[in-house]
Amino acid sequence: MTMVQFDRVGKRYPGGKEALSGINFELARGEFAFLTGHSGAGKSTLLKLMMLMERPSRGQVFVDGQNLGRLRPGQIPYLRRKVGVVFQNHQLLFDRSVYDNVALPLQIAGYTPAEAGRRVRAALDSVGLLGMEKRNPIELSGGEQQRVGIARAVVNKPALLLADEPTGNLDPELSAEIMNLFLRFQQVGVTVLIASHDIALIERMGHRRLILDHGHLHDGQVPAAGGIYG
Amino acid sequence: MAEPKHTVKTQAGASLQEIGVRKRLNAWAANHQLVAVETLMRLLSKPLSSLLTWMVIAIALTMPGALWMALDNMEQLSGRFQASGRITLYLTPKATEEQGQQLSDRIAALDSVANTEFIDADTALNDFRDNSGLQAALDFLPENPLPAVILVEPPLGIEQAALLRLIEQLKSYQLVDSVQLDMAWVERLQAMLALAERLIGVLGVLLALAILLVVGNTIRLAIAARVDEIRVVKLVGGTNAYVRRPFLYTGLWYGMVGGLLAWLLLILCWALLNGPVADLAELYGSGFELKPLSAAAAMVLLLAAMLLGWLGAWWSVSRHLDHIEP
Repeated sequence: MTMVQFDRVGKRYPGGKEALSGINFELARGEFAFLTGHSGAGKSTLLKLMMLMERPSRGQVFVDGQNLGRLRPGQIPYLRRKVGVVFQNHQLLFDRSVYDNVALPLQIAGYTPAEAGRRVRAALDSVGLLGMEKRNPIELSGGEQQRVGIARAVVNKPALLLADEPTGNLDPELSAEIMNLFLRFQQVGVTVLIASHDIALIERMGHRRLILDHGHLHDGQVPAAGGIYG
Repeated sequence: MAEPKHTVKTQAGASLQEIGVRKRLNAWAANHQLVAVETLMRLLSKPLSSLLTWMVIAIALTMPGALWMALDNMEQLSGRFQASGRITLYLTPKATEEQGQQLSDRIAALDSVANTEFIDADTALNDFRDNSGLQAALDFLPENPLPAVILVEPPLGIEQAALLRLIEQLKSYQLVDSVQLDMAWVERLQAMLALAERLIGVLGVLLALAILLVVGNTIRLAIAARVDEIRVVKLVGGTNAYVRRPFLYTGLWYGMVGGLLAWLLLILCWALLNGPVADLAELYGSGFELKPLSAAAAMVLLLAAMLLGWLGAWWSVSRHLDHIEP
């Protein structure tokens, strides 16, 4: 079963910059992979194509069997509900509590407050932040903020979890902790793709690597190792 | 770290079905309720800037509202005059009292006549003597100079053509010497009222446009202040409808409170003018009273205000919101 498929995908930004060209790869359902490359190699662009934050100039992207090129603008929100995203700058809202931040996707998807409450607490528990519900994210440390972002990305039980430099601002110990969190989600069936340039950490963790170099993709090895690092 | 308690094995599609249509509908209604309350609270939390917008809307609504109230009262006045806009039939001197009474009854039976009143020559003279203050002069006259009169009252709101036909018919009776219809000034008044109505309409459209612009601009600023939130909401799967909702409710609240304030202002206008108008009317021996805005008209005002607020928000939102993409 394929979760993500890129078929000869190219992306050229207005102005002529070729961000991606000839991208072909597949992610199996439940797979865990890293996306690496120098900064400006096109990692963020590739992730954005899966969320339809960008549309490809050429080729086709499939997510969960859906051809994203065929989606009408009105269908995009429903795609995004199936895909959880974590950002380096975590994109939290500081005008509301941790709880409300995590509950946002559920509120949008139309869950009742009671159901949302259960799921928010489960998600916060899974990232080790139960008990911080009422705090404002601005009071939390960088690592804790990132975990709130992860809780928000997984609270809707997405089939696919994307992360763009989720450990970019964290020290090595916290980074490893965050990566282990992602592994836990993969173990319960979520497909995970993490863009990162933390080569040392990635090499220690093993797993498949997709390497981007100036817009071209080299599918890396799928190492035999692949347990939880720590 | 503990094992995650929520299993992620179920796919998103399945989890949505799990929720059930009814629960989703309830959640949707609950969201509307939540957004409605939240947006109102947000407006009330900044009372000064909100009040500014509310007052602008209220004043823009009060102007046409007050003019409309004045017009409504003028029409009430002209309606009274119209009711007294009777046709007077002067009978020939040969007509006896009996013949006059018979003719009056015949005319009263006509379809296009509401009521008739026969006044014989003697009664007419007595009335004139009492009302005119010319008693002494009249006593010098050798005989009664006044003819007998039939007052014909056409039904209210009779059409011009029917009225003219009726007059022709009345003229054709042999006993009738002349027919007098004093309607010209009523027509002039009505033409002026029609003009005033049109002017109020034009003014109303212009001020409605002003309200749209004011609300639209206020909502534009609100959108600009919440760009980050909108991006995040769209990122986690918020539909355009979901993103629009709070802004549309904000527009609705602007309109509604503005409309209520306008209503209060109109009541205030009425209270300030009612006394002087009643005094003036009394000097003219009229029991005329300034009518306040009717409840129905107030409802129309309120609904129009809400609609304008909502439309202004919609206009602003459709111009600015869809361009904010994560």
